[in-house]
Amino acid sequence: EEALPPAPQNISILSTNMKHILTWSPVIIQGETVRYSVEFQGEYERVYANESWIPISECSLITATLCNITEDISATVAYNLRVRADLGARRSEWGTLKGFFNRNTTSLTPPVMKVIADGYHLLVELEDMGPAFQFRVLYWKKGQERRMQQKVVKEVSSVVHLDTMEAGAEYCVKAQSYVEAINRSSSFSQTQCVRAQGDTSMWL
Amino acid sequence: TAGNKILHFGACRVSMSMAEIRAGFTAIKANIQARDSIRTLSILSYPHSLHKVNSSDRCCITHHLFNFYVDKVFKHCRTEDSYVNRKISSIANSFLSMKRKLGQCHEQNQCVCGQESTEKFKQILANYEELNVTSAAMKSLGELDILLDWME
Amino acid sequence: SGELYCSLLNPRNVRFESINMKNVLHWSAPEGTGNGVLYRVKYSVYGVGKWIRKPECRNINRTWCDLSSETSDYEEQYYASVKAFLNGMSSDWVETTRFNPLTDTKIDPPMVSVSSTDKSISIILTAPEKWKRNPKEESVSLLQVYPGLQYNVSVLNKKTKKRWFFSISNHTLVVPWLEPETAYCVSAQIHVTTPILDSGFSKEYCIATLKDKTK
Repeated sequence: EEALPPAPQNISILSTNMKHILTWSPVIIQGETVRYSVEFQGEYERVYANESWIPISECSLITATLCNITEDISATVAYNLRVRADLGARRSEWGTLKGFFNRNTTSLTPPVMKVIADGYHLLVELEDMGPAFQFRVLYWKKGQERRMQQKVVKEVSSVVHLDTMEAGAEYCVKAQSYVEAINRSSSFSQTQCVRAQGDTSMWL
Repeated sequence: TAGNKILHFGACRVSMSMAEIRAGFTAIKANIQARDSIRTLSILSYPHSLHKVNSSDRCCITHHLFNFYVDKVFKHCRTEDSYVNRKISSIANSFLSMKRKLGQCHEQNQCVCGQESTEKFKQILANYEELNVTSAAMKSLGELDILLDWME
Repeated sequence: SGELYCSLLNPRNVRFESINMKNVLHWSAPEGTGNGVLYRVKYSVYGVGKWIRKPECRNINRTWCDLSSETSDYEEQYYASVKAFLNGMSSDWVETTRFNPLTDTKIDPPMVSVSSTDKSISIILTAPEKWKRNPKEESVSLLQVYPGLQYNVSVLNKKTKKRWFFSISNHTLVVPWLEPETAYCVSAQIHVTTPILDSGFSKEYCIATLKDKTK
């Protein structure tokens, strides 16, 4: 009787900025095409629904050794993940992720940010990191760090207006991303400084 | 945007990812409601709408309802449609996460149950028990927007 | 009523179309039928289930029926149904999906009014009103229906072609320190986070800042 394919190994999750990718090592069988299927189990299924598993249709019988599980990891609870190898009609045992995965462990990076001075107006352009993200933007007049101001930006459609600037003055800005659903923030971006139009004498 | 909400129930403050639940429900609303052909009964709205509950009882009713959905509804809503099942799982796990937060308020006595909320929840259970389990669960799931509208 | 009817193909695409909670039932004529088809409409409140006929939409030949009055309580949900009649034949009753006025309505953009000085523009935004039975009835702003309502405002400098965005919760915005004698175009959108409802952006309202008084 033909042997069953081995269960996939080295199952792990790469999770950055609330995008969660499940990966595993390929099952190598000379001259054969091995396909994989992925299932997940939330804490709800484990505790209230007889430990049932739910297949991810986009990752059923695929040849790739990764699966984007972001859409299904949509609650801040502990998830189980498992992968199986199929070789024709023969099916391996399930390989299961070691330990649980909770999205609150995702690594958060600071947003890509561009600070703009347009006349006397301080503006910022922020990278769209997805619907789960907001941004905490801190800005201050150079030399007056203790009078730092904050703006929470939820819509990053384009150039966001922060404030007006005193003529000729230099202003600095830094930002961090924040995910309300897991109540965590990234580190701050590099500080960027720009200068308002006009010369400072206008204010004397 | 993220659309998290900080729901205030007196001293109890609970952050809830309402937008995620809304998005999950909106994606399957037509499918789930189409499975409920009983128009003459509503689990949550009759005879008294949730909107008539006075504010001091809101926390207790919400706590009861989260337990109700987690304990009695989602597990009986398995369908033949994998996409729908995934969305139900997403909602169920979000509810579980929020049920836990509300439970902490309940334990710290910040979620007092008055007579009105007790009566209201009894009515909801009575409505639920009028139908067979699967029909009652599917109808309850189809009424999730009634609960979300009221909570917001 | 004792009338004998054979079967006619059903009306198609029976659905509510709602803007600012003006809730109108729409449908398409049964396939292959030309003029002469008449329709009847009924509706029901979810949970009550009793079908109620709409007299003003009995034996009509148009393919819409305004049910705004009957569905104005947005704490309820509704079904509506249509039946077609032609030459002694009739179709089945065809129902909508469950209609939730609060989440299934579309919202118009806000009204925008702009004024300017030599170095600033002032923007006043007004959210649309909820549909009302008659002009004398007290107006209800959608701001009262959706307390989390916010505005996204776009300000375009016509000279530099640069566009700025503002997100504000109150309905006024003053943009100071602008260039005199420069045209700015303003457009605004309503944004409700939950339920997730966004209006489109309004058309652009352009205004020029005045001549610099100090010069």
